[in-house]
Amino acid sequence: MKKYILAAGALCTLGTNAALAHITLETQEAAVGSTYKAVLRVPHGCEGKTTTAVRVQIPEGVIAVKPMPKPGWTLQTKKGNYEKSYQLYGETLTTGVKEVGWSGGNLPDEFYDEFVFRASLAADLPAGQMLYFPVVQECGDATDRWIEIPTTGQDADALETPAPGIKLLPKK
Amino acid sequence: MNAAQSSSTIRMHTRPLVWLVAVLLTMAALAMPGRAFAHAALVATDPADGAVLTQSPAQFSLTFSEPVSPLVLTLVRPDGSQLALTSFRLNDQTVEIDNPETLKSGSHVLSWRVVSVDGHPVGGSTLFSIGAPSAAPVAGEAVDWTLRAAIWAARLLLYAGLFLGVGGAFALAWLAGDRRRGQRFVAAALIFGLIGAPVSLGLQGLDGLGAPLARFATPAVWKTALETSFVWTVLIGLIALGVALLSLAGPSGLRKLSAGAALLGVGGALAASGHASAAEPQWLTRPLVFLHGTAIAFWAGSLAPLALALRREPAEAKVFLRRFSRAILPVVILLAASGVVLAIIQVQEPAALVRTAYGRLLLLKLALLLFLFTLAAVNRWTLTAPAEAGDTEVQRRLVRSIGIEVVIVLAIFGVAAGWRFTPPPRALAIAAAQPVSIHIHTLEAMADLSITPGHAGTVAASMVIMTGDFGPLDAKQVTLVLSKPDSGIEPIKRPASKPGDGTWRVDNLVIPLPGRWNARLDILVSDFEMVKIEAPIDIRSD
Repeated sequence: MKKYILAAGALCTLGTNAALAHITLETQEAAVGSTYKAVLRVPHGCEGKTTTAVRVQIPEGVIAVKPMPKPGWTLQTKKGNYEKSYQLYGETLTTGVKEVGWSGGNLPDEFYDEFVFRASLAADLPAGQMLYFPVVQECGDATDRWIEIPTTGQDADALETPAPGIKLLPKK
Repeated sequence: MNAAQSSSTIRMHTRPLVWLVAVLLTMAALAMPGRAFAHAALVATDPADGAVLTQSPAQFSLTFSEPVSPLVLTLVRPDGSQLALTSFRLNDQTVEIDNPETLKSGSHVLSWRVVSVDGHPVGGSTLFSIGAPSAAPVAGEAVDWTLRAAIWAARLLLYAGLFLGVGGAFALAWLAGDRRRGQRFVAAALIFGLIGAPVSLGLQGLDGLGAPLARFATPAVWKTALETSFVWTVLIGLIALGVALLSLAGPSGLRKLSAGAALLGVGGALAASGHASAAEPQWLTRPLVFLHGTAIAFWAGSLAPLALALRREPAEAKVFLRRFSRAILPVVILLAASGVVLAIIQVQEPAALVRTAYGRLLLLKLALLLFLFTLAAVNRWTLTAPAEAGDTEVQRRLVRSIGIEVVIVLAIFGVAAGWRFTPPPRALAIAAAQPVSIHIHTLEAMADLSITPGHAGTVAASMVIMTGDFGPLDAKQVTLVLSKPDSGIEPIKRPASKPGDGTWRVDNLVIPLPGRWNARLDILVSDFEMVKIEAPIDIRSD
């Protein structure tokens, strides 16, 4: 009996650790056509090393991105053309931020931090599906890439380094 | 020339000769390869053995350790029905075979039989599946022992004809003066050879098709035989045998010329096919086989006429004995030297002598040779001089001893004929050193992965990465992950480096176990995009 409890305890601990170990988004659901505040949670460094940069790729359909500056970190964005044009408050958007990066910072492995940006989710994004924001975490010369996107039928939990994602809800 | 003179001449020659023979004995005992009419080894197939394909392939390919020509190519469908594959192309050492039909799902066997440059047919099969594996259809190769015995016996007859017959004719023409003792023996050997040569060719055809002895007379068998390189051995051999036979009957002026040509024909016949001739480097092996064969014919061929001459006409045989004693030294040097070099090329490492069937036959041949050389040395050392001097008792002993030599020589031919069935370590080593390769193809990316050598131990992996539509893929990073879920071994994960020739490499990779591994390539296409492709790969045990 004692063994079972120990085993169960061990499993719980391991399972929790695995989940905690990933970079995730705080709000994991959002309606299409709404404004979404993305909070990237960085729970640790790359295999124990201090995090020095976090970069996130903005998926197609996520428009009008505005990242939040962070003291001690250099904020940079990469802009590019959208695959198609989007209407937002009567304006036609064809280009915008495709990548956001906070670099030059110092986040030791034992500390936790969050990286924030705000964006609009286009109304024509497919509700009911997942939308992924691949993240590259740099720790000096080490890199962790949270960029894996499950293929159809693949269990997202089985991925070693899954990309953070949200579930798209129908337009309110 | 009187007896005393010739005796002293011989003594002068025999003193250093004794020592040289002793040295040669040791050398020759170390290594003497013979003829090996053996195999090309299969090194790669596409689809790979055990592969599971998503769709029917347009073509198959088989890659061998040396150039081959296909004899029979059959596809066995999952229901056991067979389809003959007749459309194929030769591309260096690879046979590319067209697949005439769209294969249904299930396991298929590609059964092949090819003949290599050395003239020996080999067969095997490779299993692959469409969609998912099903129960394997039956395709296999049983050893036809009757056929093997027939091949061996015919080969022995051919050797007897070439070495004892043609060699004997040469000895009669060049060494025996105008004495013709042993002519009947030589003629008989030549006739054996004339029978053995075409029979050998027909059996080669049977073996090539994997057909039983009963089909010996069918045209397909002979057509197959004529397409092998062994046909050249038989053709040149037949000419040599015929010319040698003519030299026995011909006018004395032509005798020497035709017997000499026939002797060279023996070397030519042996160099025309066989594994030793097919080995690289060809510029070295073919001349060596030629010299080896010619030297054997000279030596072995002289024995019987010499013994018969000594027994019947001891007084007149002295000239024969003296000429032979003089000539044999350079001949044995040639024989031993060419043998040693060929053995080194074929066997490669001493351990292979014990480990492989080819090596064990070689050891057996060496044991027989040791005996033969001892006997020959005793003959030269202690018997030749008194026999020349006219000692009849010694002459009788010499005749007996030479008789035993002939028997040993026949036994050596028997062993050499056995090589017909064993691949030399050289060919086995080529097969072992070959990489295993797989082709992984997905919509996002494709890769050719080769692991060299393709067996467990320290290996190197080489990868060529392309996009799914054959375009260039400039990956930022490639990681090779090898896993064997059924072994309890954790996945082996190694980042690949880029040596600059367009490939990705992982060196000093240790694969601890043979068997089926899963190879996965994690290809970082861009900062945020990773493509993972995987496929099973079979690692050999050695």
